[in-house]
Amino acid sequence: MSDVSVGNGVVVDCAGVSRTYQEDAVPVHALRGVDFQFARGDFVSLSGPSGSGKSTLLNLIGGLDRADAGTIAVDGVAVNALSESELSDLRLHKIGFVFQSYNLIPVLSAQENVEFIMQLQGVAPGERAERAVESLASLGIGELAHRRPGELSGGQQQRVAIARAIVTHPVLLLADEPSANLDSGTTEELLKLLRRLNDDRGISILTATHDPMVMGYAKRRVVLRDGAIVEDSAN
Amino acid sequence: MPIKLLFQMSVRNILRHRRRNGMMLAAVVVAVAAVVMMNSLIRGMQQDMADAAVENLVGHVKVLAPGYRDDPGIQKNFELASDWRPPDGVAEVAGWAMRVRVPAVIMSERGTRGIQFVGVNPRQEGISFLSSARMAGESLKDASDGRIIIGQALAEQLETGLGRRLVIITQGADGLNREAGFRIAGLYDADGEGMEKFFVFTGVDALQKMVGAAVFTELSIRLHQEPALFALKEILVELFTGLEVLDWRELEPQAAAMFIFADAAVLIWFFVMMGALVFGLVNTLVTSVMERIRELGMLRAVGMRPRSVVAQVVIESSVLMLIGVAVGIALGLAGIFAMGDGLDLSLWSEGVESFGMRTLLRPVPLFDDVLLIALLSLGLGVVASLYPAWRAIKIKPLEALRR
Ligand SMILES: Nc1ncnc2c1ncn2[C@@H]1O[C@H](COP(=O)(O)OP(=O)(O)OP(=O)(O)O)[C@@H](O)[C@H]1O
Ligand SMILES: [Mg+2]
Repeated sequence: MSDVSVGNGVVVDCAGVSRTYQEDAVPVHALRGVDFQFARGDFVSLSGPSGSGKSTLLNLIGGLDRADAGTIAVDGVAVNALSESELSDLRLHKIGFVFQSYNLIPVLSAQENVEFIMQLQGVAPGERAERAVESLASLGIGELAHRRPGELSGGQQQRVAIARAIVTHPVLLLADEPSANLDSGTTEELLKLLRRLNDDRGISILTATHDPMVMGYAKRRVVLRDGAIVEDSAN
Repeated sequence: MPIKLLFQMSVRNILRHRRRNGMMLAAVVVAVAAVVMMNSLIRGMQQDMADAAVENLVGHVKVLAPGYRDDPGIQKNFELASDWRPPDGVAEVAGWAMRVRVPAVIMSERGTRGIQFVGVNPRQEGISFLSSARMAGESLKDASDGRIIIGQALAEQLETGLGRRLVIITQGADGLNREAGFRIAGLYDADGEGMEKFFVFTGVDALQKMVGAAVFTELSIRLHQEPALFALKEILVELFTGLEVLDWRELEPQAAAMFIFADAAVLIWFFVMMGALVFGLVNTLVTSVMERIRELGMLRAVGMRPRSVVAQVVIESSVLMLIGVAVGIALGLAGIFAMGDGLDLSLWSEGVESFGMRTLLRPVPLFDDVLLIALLSLGLGVVASLYPAWRAIKIKPLEALRR
C-alpha cells in the first residue's frame, strides 16, 4: 500500500474474463474472455465504443461486480474467491475510485469528503486531517477544504474526488470517464494532474474513456470492442 | 464502525431537509406530548379509582371472619382488644379501623330501607371517606356516641333530616332481632350516591351494645403506599390465623379490574398514537434513503460495510426520535402543569361517578411511565428505521451508482 512501489510487479492480472448480463432473458456478452495484465506504475486508458465493456471491466477489477468466467488478481489477490466483506476491504484499502459524476457526499465539506475514507480505515483523527489537507493541497484546492460539494465547480469536485481516491495510497486508481462532465480546459488540467500523480508518486492508473485527450496522456492504450481487446499499444 | 462519521452524516442529512424532518419532528413532539398527558390522566383516574375503592371502608387490607363475605352478619365476628395496633416494624401503615358492620333495616315515618349499619371509632376513620366527606350537622364524637350519621341521599329517600330519630332493626349476636332508635347527628355527602344510600354510621361501642357482643366484624388497614401491601398481608396472615386476610383487589374485584385495565390503557394509547407515527417515520426515512441512494452506493463502493449503512439510517431515525421525545416530554409535562389540579368533569359527573371516579380528573405523571414512553419511542424509532435501512443495502452498490 505504498505510493512509491514503482516496481515491475503486476497490479492487475486478468485471464479469460467473461461477464454476461441477462437482459430480459437475452444474454448480453459484456466481456468475452479478456486477458489483460497491468504493470505497477502504469497509466492505461481503456477506450472503445459505447457498450464495448469498459465499465464492466473496471467494475470487475474494482471488485464491484463478479466475473462469470476467468480469473482476476489485484495486487496478487484473486478477487473471484473473496467474500463480499473481503471485497469491501479490498476496495477500501487497495483501490481508489474516481467516478464519472464525482459522487461526493453533499453534507460533508471537501476535507471531510477526503477524510471519511480514512475514518472507514480507522486512521487516527490527527493523521486523518493532516493527510486530507495535504492531499487537497497537492491537487491545488487546499483553500477550498471547507466548502461543501455544492459550492464547488465540476472540475473542483472532481479534484476532491481524486484527492479522496489517492489519500489512502491505493495500489490502483480506477477512473471511469473522469472527464465526461468536464470542459476540455478542465480536462487537460485533470490529466496533467493524473499524469503527475503517476510520474511522481508511481500511482497505477486505469481509466475508461471516450476522450482522445485522455488517451493521449496515458502511457498505454487498450481498446475494447464487443467485449474483447482489439488493440493494445504503448503511447 | 466509524460511529462519529455516521453520526455526523446522519445529523447533517436531517438538517439538509429541514422542512421534511421538521414536520416529522413536530408529529413526534405532538404525539409524545399527547401520550405523556393522556398517560398522566389515565394514571390520575386509576389512582382515584383505587383510592375510592380503598376509602370505601375497604382499606388496603381487611381482616374478616371466614364466611363473612358470603353472608355478612354479626355471627361472623372475631374478638380484638379495643387498643389493638399493628405490630411494630410494619412500615407504611397510614391507619387502621376496627368496625362492626351488619346488614340492617332503617325506618322513618315515611320509608324503610335496607342498609349496612357500621359501628366505627371516629378517631380511626381518618383512613376512610368518612373523614373527608362534607358533613351537615355534627360528626360522631367517639366510639360510644350513640347517634347516627346517614348519607344525604338516604335522608332524602326517608324524608328525614338532622336531629330526627330513626329506628334501626338488625340481628343480635344471639340470632334474635334487635330494634333501637337513633338520633341523626349528621348528614354526609359522599362522592357517590350509592354510598350515601348504603352506609349508616354510629359509634362502635353503641352498636356492640345493641348486638350484645363485644366483637368486631372487620379490621381495615390502610397504607401510605400500595407496594407495602404484600408484606403487610403476609404479617397479618400469620397474626390472624383462622381469619380471612384480603386486599382491596380481592374485595373490590371490579375496581381491581379497572385498575388493571388502566395499566393496559396506558400501553394501548401509546401504541395507537406512536404506531400511527411510525408509518410516517418509515415514509420519511425511505424518502431520505432513496434520495441519496447513489451516495450510499458510493459509500459502499469505496468500502463502507452494509452494517455501517444500516447504522447510519438507524442513527438518523434515533436522532429524530430523541429530539422529538425530549421536546415532546417537555411539552407534555408543561401541559400537565397547565392542567394544574385537574380537569373538571362535573358536566358528565353522573356517568363518571358510576365508575368510581371523581369529578375532578387530575393528572398524575409517573417518572416510570415517562421513562417507559421515552424508551419505547426510541425503540420504535429503531424499529421504524430497519425497513428503510434494508432498502438502502438491498440494492447493490453498482446499481445504486447507476441511478
Ligand atoms: N447491469 C447491467 N445489466 C444488463 N446489461 C448491462 C449491465 N451493465 C452493462 N450492461 C451491458 O453490457 C454491455 C457493456 O456495458 P459497459 O457499461 O461495460 O459498456 P461501456 O464500454 O462502459 O459503455 P459506455 O462507453 O457507454 O460507458 C452493454 O451492452 C451494456 O448494455
Ligand atoms: Mg461505461
